[in-house]
Amino acid sequence: MSGLIDQFLPARVMTRFLPRSPFAGVCVSALMGLVFPMCECGIVPVIRRLIAKGLPVSNAVAYMLAAPIVNPITALSTYAAFRGQGAAEFTTLRLGLGFFIAALVGMAVYNLSIGSVLKKEILESVALGSADSGGGGGAPITRRLVAAMDAGVRDFLDVMLYFIVGAAAASVFGTAINQSLFLPLAMHDWLAVPSMMGLAGILALCSSSDAFVAATFVSFPAVAKLAFLVFGPMMDLKLVFIYAAVFRRRFVFGLAVGLFVLIGLICLRLSVIGL
Amino acid sequence: MSATTSRFTASGILLIWGVTLVYFQLSGRVASYLHPDFHIPTFIAGIVLLAFSVALIFTIRFVDPSGREDCGARHPFGGGILAVAVLLVPLLLAVRMSQGQFSASTVMNRGLVTDSSELPTFSSPVDPALPGESETPVDGSMMDPSLYLKKNADGQIVAETVDLLYAAAEEGMRADFENKDVEVSGQFLSARTGNPAGDRFQLMRLFVMCCAADARPVAITVHSKSLADFPEMTWVKVIGTATFPVEGGRHIVVIEAQSVSEIEPPVESFTY
Repeated sequence: MSGLIDQFLPARVMTRFLPRSPFAGVCVSALMGLVFPMCECGIVPVIRRLIAKGLPVSNAVAYMLAAPIVNPITALSTYAAFRGQGAAEFTTLRLGLGFFIAALVGMAVYNLSIGSVLKKEILESVALGSADSGGGGGAPITRRLVAAMDAGVRDFLDVMLYFIVGAAAASVFGTAINQSLFLPLAMHDWLAVPSMMGLAGILALCSSSDAFVAATFVSFPAVAKLAFLVFGPMMDLKLVFIYAAVFRRRFVFGLAVGLFVLIGLICLRLSVIGL
Repeated sequence: MSATTSRFTASGILLIWGVTLVYFQLSGRVASYLHPDFHIPTFIAGIVLLAFSVALIFTIRFVDPSGREDCGARHPFGGGILAVAVLLVPLLLAVRMSQGQFSASTVMNRGLVTDSSELPTFSSPVDPALPGESETPVDGSMMDPSLYLKKNADGQIVAETVDLLYAAAEEGMRADFENKDVEVSGQFLSARTGNPAGDRFQLMRLFVMCCAADARPVAITVHSKSLADFPEMTWVKVIGTATFPVEGGRHIVVIEAQSVSEIEPPVESFTY
């Protein structure tokens, strides 16, 4: 898909379809997963090409963070996993909070300079993409298809490189750490939420199946499970490495800390009001 | 890296990944890692990678051999030796060395599931599960159990650990198994708790929703008069009587073993 975007999507065509208001644009981008559902691993090469094609970084980040949660597949799996535990309310809360956080982070990124967010190579590709007015331009279709394949393969291998490192780290933590160590934290109101987010970061589960795991943490309060299901698809061990394929390390670190604090505070607030 | 070298390197990496995925599917090793729903997509992914690998070679005439990476920025591979190593060495080591199953310490780190309420697919039973309360059989329990319970040639019910765990929590299902002879297969684990007389062990199967990453070890207790002594994680078949005594305020599964024998690992090591 990223290769086809590279060759066949004219530069800046998306900005014509997005609302002019930055806030509305970020909100629409955060909802794009409903139409173009992607998992958290597959979305990174796609947004990389979309950024090169002129999609504002704030919109790309909003789409990247929201799409693994705000999509029909995740909604259905969450509903199925929480049957008998207020499935409709929980699914709505998960998608709603996922959208809200993604839009909020998107607006924060809107206020940052693009150079502080993107890696140098990606910045250069943005410049190249802006100069390229029509994807593959007037080249023959065969040559454009070959170029699309080259771009797709390159994106695949680039992301795989980071994915393998991230998956190795996640698998070590997922198998070598005794997960029962987390259970006593469930009894503590203030620690249940951050400990579940920490667990989500370590387990690095796919957003289409993580709800089935979260639903089994019966001793944890609902808000802690909500934090697990919102934080996990946005930031985990493997994603730290995958994001590093596109974004500056400092930005990835800031994003990880920001998401942890933001989701943690919102979920703690929700617990105070009795969720 | 020149454009031609980049193309050959990318093709080689895709070839190795594609062959690995196809090999895992054809050899059945994929069953140790993924839910059956993902076996065919994995095979297709392997074929697609092989197709791309071949296509990269057949389209080499489109490449300007003098083109450098920093000029085109669209070569199919932009990494160096280290990147190639990261992309290939872990994969090849995994293919060569992975045992295709968790170790006992990994299973214990995951935490044994001995209560069906900790299972991903759990939904509260219609009837109360706790002893002492009025228990009304659910509609399903009115069906003839022979319609949905499989039996072996000796007439014993062939059950999974997860079936028995659900039965412990639901009276309707419990009646199907209680005091009946069952055959259950799983992996042997020493009983670390609830074993004061030292004559119990755990029989474990991994329950999977998606892939090995979300595997939950589902364990039931087996009571054996002649102490079964196998290495941890050995595949065993237990034939015995299913009982559901109340321990710790809830019904638990205890198989009163008549025989415990080592078996070959099944093709499908997970339950779903």
